[in-house]
Amino acid sequence: MAASGSAVAIFDGGVTSSGEIAAFERDRRELLRRGFGLGGAAVLASSIPLLWSVRSAFAEAGGDGDAPILARAINLERVSVIAYDTLIGGAFMTPALGGALRRFRAHEQEHEDALVTALTSLGGTPPAPPQGVADVDKVVDGLRDVRSRADVLTFLIELETAAVAAYFDAHAKFGEAKLLQMGASIMANEGQHLVILRKAAGQDPVPNAFETGET
Amino acid sequence: MDLDHFLRDPQSRRRFFCMSGMSVGGASAAFLGACSDDTKNPVRLGPDESDQADVEILNGVLDLEFLAVAAYKAGAGRLRGSRLEIVKGFLEQEQEHADGLSGAIKDLDGTPNRPKSTYDFPVLRSESDVLRFAIDLENTAIAAYIDALPKFSDKDLRSMAASIITNEAEHVSVLLDALGREPVPDAFVNGKAA
Repeated sequence: MAASGSAVAIFDGGVTSSGEIAAFERDRRELLRRGFGLGGAAVLASSIPLLWSVRSAFAEAGGDGDAPILARAINLERVSVIAYDTLIGGAFMTPALGGALRRFRAHEQEHEDALVTALTSLGGTPPAPPQGVADVDKVVDGLRDVRSRADVLTFLIELETAAVAAYFDAHAKFGEAKLLQMGASIMANEGQHLVILRKAAGQDPVPNAFETGET
Repeated sequence: MDLDHFLRDPQSRRRFFCMSGMSVGGASAAFLGACSDDTKNPVRLGPDESDQADVEILNGVLDLEFLAVAAYKAGAGRLRGSRLEIVKGFLEQEQEHADGLSGAIKDLDGTPNRPKSTYDFPVLRSESDVLRFAIDLENTAIAAYIDALPKFSDKDLRSMAASIITNEAEHVSVLLDALGREPVPDAFVNGKAA
């Protein structure tokens, strides 16, 4: 079964699944079962409920300054580190893919470190660390379902796409100039991760002129 | 001008970007200090930023997009096979950026700049030269957009700029990969890493 991202909140305190999204997800899983998991139509469809929830989560982060957005971004990066750690240690790695994922994992850690520094400098307190795969599920469901190299790529493409979407929306919310710029530099790096993952999955590595986290 | 000299010499790069039609308004210091040196000024956000200031910034990055379109057109003639296909795709996306920026300028009742009739590119002797020059242009664009980002008063323009930055960063990864170099060398993409 292909890994798949269900419609859940990307940041703690965000939205929960709705019936509409659950129905959509059932349809999508059916598409995946029928072998369209890596096809353009299915990938396009897969992003819709996920990004809807991501953007709703950011909407809830608004109005309280930059600190809540940073806290949610820290959680996202920590969850990404857990996901990469889980997959790097899995049975489906080739040396080349494993090497790329280790580099991406290190990048996510660098993002987290910088975001924690930024939040602390604002007088904020970093959120409690996520506890494992269960907390990854709150961002992108499906990590436990990974059964193949293709599943690894599908899951990570969804995770990185969700990250791009989150940072894209953050640009309408950050107030501090340096946070806007840091957010853009992180978002661009997540986009570069996507290039490698898409290419490995046999997809167009740069499908859109405007990378917003939608495919 | 030889490409190696161009890439090594900051003065050559600065002169090139200034001569290539980069418009630098009072609100736009968006070109790595290429045409002015007010990048050290603190960036301030606020409602006092006018639509006109946004138009000036947009026209500044629009000039860079026109430059990229011209560069990819010029470079495509030296490429074959998969590398040519890559560049053709990127050319279309740079044109989409230009179209999007022009549309945003018109939405603000501004007048979009037009591309120059010619650009004085460095001499590109090989496929490798084309790719290396493209990486330099893409990184320059990324740096320009990141510099411009907080100067936009319109939040939607910030989001649009972030989406273009990410696309340009993706281009860099593909180009680096085509050259056999590490495609994602840094955790933070700011356009200043070659």
